[in-house]
Amino acid sequence: MSIVEETRKALLQLFPEQAAAEAEAEAAADAEAAAGAEADTDATAEDTASTEEAGEAAGGEETAAEPAAPAKEEEPAEEGPRENGVLVTDHAARGTHLDVLCDPEQVVEAAGIMDEAGFFLEAITGVDWIKEDRMEVIYDYNQTGPDPCRVVVRTFIPRANPEIPTISEIHPGANWHERETHDFFGIKFQGHPYLEPLLLPEDADFHPLLKDFTP
Amino acid sequence: MGTEKVPSSIVHFAELDKLLNLCRANSLWPMTFGLACCAIEMMCTGGSRFDISRFGAEVFRPSPRQSDVMIVAGTITRKMEPGVKTLYDQMPEPKWVIAMGNCAISGGPFKFKGNYNVVEGADQFLPVDVYIPGCPPRPEALLEGIMTLEEKITGKRRWPRRQPGQVTG
Amino acid sequence: MTVPIQCRPDEVFVLNLGPQHPATHGVLRVKLTMDGEYIVKAEPVLGYIHRMHEKMAEAGSFAQFMPNTARMDYLHALAYNHGYVLAVERAAGIEVPERAEYIRVITVELNRLSSHLLWWAAFLLDLGGFTPLLYAFDDRERILDLLERITGSRLTYCYFRFGGVYNDIDDEFIAGTRDFIKRLRSRLPRMYHDLVTHNIILIKRLKDIGFITPEQCRKYGATGPVARGSGINYDVRKNEPYSVYPEFDFDVPVYTECDSMARYMVRMDEIEQSLRIIEQALDKLPDGPVKAKKVPKILKPAAGDYYAAVEAARGAFGCRLVCDGGKSAYRLKLRSPTFSNLSLFGEVAEGMLLADALAFMGSLDLVIPEIDR
Ligand code: SF4
Repeated sequence: MSIVEETRKALLQLFPEQAAAEAEAEAAADAEAAAGAEADTDATAEDTASTEEAGEAAGGEETAAEPAAPAKEEEPAEEGPRENGVLVTDHAARGTHLDVLCDPEQVVEAAGIMDEAGFFLEAITGVDWIKEDRMEVIYDYNQTGPDPCRVVVRTFIPRANPEIPTISEIHPGANWHERETHDFFGIKFQGHPYLEPLLLPEDADFHPLLKDFTP
Repeated sequence: MGTEKVPSSIVHFAELDKLLNLCRANSLWPMTFGLACCAIEMMCTGGSRFDISRFGAEVFRPSPRQSDVMIVAGTITRKMEPGVKTLYDQMPEPKWVIAMGNCAISGGPFKFKGNYNVVEGADQFLPVDVYIPGCPPRPEALLEGIMTLEEKITGKRRWPRRQPGQVTG
Repeated sequence: MTVPIQCRPDEVFVLNLGPQHPATHGVLRVKLTMDGEYIVKAEPVLGYIHRMHEKMAEAGSFAQFMPNTARMDYLHALAYNHGYVLAVERAAGIEVPERAEYIRVITVELNRLSSHLLWWAAFLLDLGGFTPLLYAFDDRERILDLLERITGSRLTYCYFRFGGVYNDIDDEFIAGTRDFIKRLRSRLPRMYHDLVTHNIILIKRLKDIGFITPEQCRKYGATGPVARGSGINYDVRKNEPYSVYPEFDFDVPVYTECDSMARYMVRMDEIEQSLRIIEQALDKLPDGPVKAKKVPKILKPAAGDYYAAVEAARGAFGCRLVCDGGKSAYRLKLRSPTFSNLSLFGEVAEGMLLADALAFMGSLDLVIPEIDR
């Protein structure tokens, strides 16, 4: 199994619903395949059995995951809001392999999963979507194995009360990234050990990368 | 240029002053103080090809208390501004300031509408003697700046000024 | 090298290193809590040269931001050019002609050489040797001459364009580069290695100093020679190939000693690898245009976000570009490698002698404006 698939599977722990839906789709696909090849009864019995373990087995087989991916790719391009879940993205077009959208509370869990999978944190990006009255926090993960696999975890938080739990306990490198994001956007990382200005002067009380900031 | 008085002692000894100024002008000790990209060109000026020691200014001093000239090589930010000022205050008189690069002259490329962190020019809080434009200025330009400072200190220029396009011998 | 600290808490004192200190290579400040000569706690203070690059990206058009990229890491400016144009090309779907890709690789690698040479000079200056600086600058000036011929500037290059490069290279550049490769090859073993690398003083000062475990590298996100000196075989050029790097045969030097000497050796070996890449690129250089046709003057990439990473001299540089369909970036996050590399410093420097900590800091190869952006 490729590292992208493996990581995807690990990340699906966050989204039991997506995992269940995928398991179902897979079961259906398997059933079809089973109908096509009834002769080999032993194998199909095994297959269906494995897919019934909802959540765990999802995306396990490449043949089942592949056709599902392009269909989901179209979602973010459309106007409709994207649902929480894991997307497989085209690396040539986007520069990332997996794209995760989750709730703000889930970022710590996601960080833990990434840590276990041997990933490191590359950067934390804040984005101020002033028109939608919310902010986005993007975590970029990468790993140093021979095959590339970049994972981006994103979440949205309300603009009026930007708070999100810190992941600096899991990835100590996140400490500075979070301080920087706090500088620029005023996002409060709950539980951060030392949320003082990093790049701005010590007494700075402004957040320059907010879209409505005027010097 | 050249006519301005250099601040010095209250009592003037005309000839001695001239001699002192000549000495000062030919052994300017700059402070090792790089802020950003321009500092690399300052290093190049001190390096093997441009060899700033031909003009007696190669003794880069890490301590402000031992230096005569502060070459502000780079961008001054709001957070750094008090630091630069302290360094200037720590330098003994007589002292001079060279603003090297567009950043030190006016904020350079970082002067834009949303500017929240860059001080727009060293002359907002330091008395600048020589401005060297460029982003970054070439090492030759820094050498010319040092010669201009010599001219300012002694009142006359030791090295001939070349016109643009004039072929060197 | 860690020494157990047994002093009474009231005997420690706080020492400010920087922001004006010759060994911090710019305006980094480190707040040190010291027990005599030993460091109890080190806390880097950043932001003295924060120049608002990310804000400026939102204020101007995509092309207007190009010069800024060269001013972040001015020592390896072309890699930053490269990372940024890759991100924008990915967003706008621009194809780059092959010759332009080759020229990009040649110039980026030349620039990497000049960056490593300057690091070498400055690092040894930190350790108290002045003469190497003169040798390194001699070679470096020759690279700058070559690059100046085609890019027009010595340091802060703005040479890449969306869909190509600004102008073509000529025969004189090619001949000059070949000459330079020959020259550096002949000087590397004699001047650089015999005089410095095998010098017992250097070895004594660097061996077993600044021990970074691979796990620490991962936890803090260190990349580049810092990670490769700790046995992590990661180079964006190999692991996530971009441009025409897959065409070339080169090695990624990896050392497993995890100390400052290993990082030193990684960089010295990279000089040789860069020379190899340039040589092959010059041999294979195809004909053709150096700029894509029909690149619109005003780019308006589709909404969405894009990531591009390149291997700069100090590690993996990444651009996260968030577009909303307008003609400037909605948000541009610049992931600078030294930012992550430096965040290690506090943990590793604990218990070190101050003089060793400075040798360790030099081996991280810091460029402060790139950390602060
Ligand atoms: S003038 Fe240009 S080269 Fe000099 S510090 Fe400013 S941006 Fe850098």
